[in-house]
Amino acid sequence: MSSPDLHADLCGIRFGNPLVNGSGTLDALAAGTLGLGAFVTKTVTLHPREGNPPVRIAETPAGMVNSIGLANPGLDAFCADHLPRLGELGVPVIASVGGWSPSEYATAVARIGAHPAVAAVELNVSCPNVESGCIAIGTDAGETRALVERCRSETDLPVLAKLSPSVSDVAAIATAAAEGGAHGLVLINTVRGIAIDRDRLRPLLGGGGGGLSGPAIKPIALHAIFHARAATGLPIIGMGGVASAQDCVEFLAAGASLVGIGTSLFADPGLPQRMLPELGRLVRQHGAETIEDLVGVAHPRLSSSTRA
Amino acid sequence: MAAVEAVGAYTLLRLGDDGGDTGAPGQFFMLRAEPAPAAAYLPRAVSAAWAGDGELAFLLDVRGAGTRALTEARTVSVVGPLGRGFDLAAGPSILVGGGIGAAILPWLRRRLEQRGDVRTVLGFRSPEHAVCAGIVDPDATVVLDPVLVTEPLARLLPASATVYACGPDRMLEAVAALCAEHDVPCQLAMEAAMACGFGACYGCAVRLDGTWKRLCIEGPVVEAARVLA
Repeated sequence: MSSPDLHADLCGIRFGNPLVNGSGTLDALAAGTLGLGAFVTKTVTLHPREGNPPVRIAETPAGMVNSIGLANPGLDAFCADHLPRLGELGVPVIASVGGWSPSEYATAVARIGAHPAVAAVELNVSCPNVESGCIAIGTDAGETRALVERCRSETDLPVLAKLSPSVSDVAAIATAAAEGGAHGLVLINTVRGIAIDRDRLRPLLGGGGGGLSGPAIKPIALHAIFHARAATGLPIIGMGGVASAQDCVEFLAAGASLVGIGTSLFADPGLPQRMLPELGRLVRQHGAETIEDLVGVAHPRLSSSTRA
Repeated sequence: MAAVEAVGAYTLLRLGDDGGDTGAPGQFFMLRAEPAPAAAYLPRAVSAAWAGDGELAFLLDVRGAGTRALTEARTVSVVGPLGRGFDLAAGPSILVGGGIGAAILPWLRRRLEQRGDVRTVLGFRSPEHAVCAGIVDPDATVVLDPVLVTEPLARLLPASATVYACGPDRMLEAVAALCAEHDVPCQLAMEAAMACGFGACYGCAVRLDGTWKRLCIEGPVVEAARVLA
């Protein structure tokens, strides 16, 4: 029996396998790509950011809450120092962009999108750890639509919108992103959460609140992916609590074309390499020949003719 | 294979060395009980008490679900060595440990003894915690709370020696200031909560050179001047 084809496709880009990292969960320049099919950068903003004061992470049941605060070197240093080296990783690079206004996003998208090392751009409109901007845009359908439209006009590369689950109707925001011309969606970002210091009975993290990640949020992620897919038909990079090959096929079934790993990479950087053979076995077990065959199969009424 | 034994109030975890690189004193490993309990999904960043002769040993202060799971696990996953360890200088040395910070000094002392005279000062919050002084240095000067470890250190300074310190942040700041006052070179092994240990999570931010830096990449051992900057 031949081993199944683990190649994946998204927006016309071909990936060696469907696994990627979640933005901000891997420094590939320090640690390599760990066997992933693509690398997603930490979110870049126009100006350098130190990030939030410690404490920045807290362990919680089956996961963690973080408040990093988009620490990054800023657009100039990212383009000058990081992008040339990212081009040598040997996998497609998806650049994640954040900001406080549509023009900040547009400036970053135009600069980054023009670099040959970048295969696609992710608009982070869902970071829970900054005072304004970002998630303030991504919780409003009108602002999301306008932002995506603006950024589409700045680059020829695929533009992906990374969405938060901490909204009343994620399908409505996904639809707005689609109307703005998004080529694809990335979801979910972390779920808004807070950790209380057990001794002091005060918020544990320096930023007050934070974003919850890890296996604890998997059902929330599957829900968001399922409904965003049903509402838009757009290709999706699905993530949120993925920790095994079994999780991966469930995310494919819910509608993800690529599957992101984040918190589980922290705990186990060898995970992607071990997941891939198991993923091949599961694809075969479900009677599929390719990754694509499993994408969206959890949707009963989604016929192949309507699949994006 | 893991063996666990009490050392006073602390717990010594001895893992069989699978033959991989064990690094150098001050570097750290990410340890996780396998299978990971839901209450301790993330690994713990711990520097070794010593490595060699087929084992990798860690002195733990068992305080929560993660450290408890490590002492009860049949299997412990080990990622490392990670980070930058101590830069071993020639000549005499002074080791300074506070509380569980003493845990990483036995291996360092063994290495430094080959280079010159080693003096050790340790501070603990109780006699039970101070039991581990025996595995660091049988001749160590030990003080108990409320006496600060900077008291015996101050009596050793000035000295033509390098100071190596590990302990709580406030102790490290006091040791750094004391060494700066006497113009004595000083290296600090710092601690911060880490989710990954290899630069990915940005969780272990510490103030170095006047800005937030990732301790897992810059340290955990740093020149004291970088903390005072």
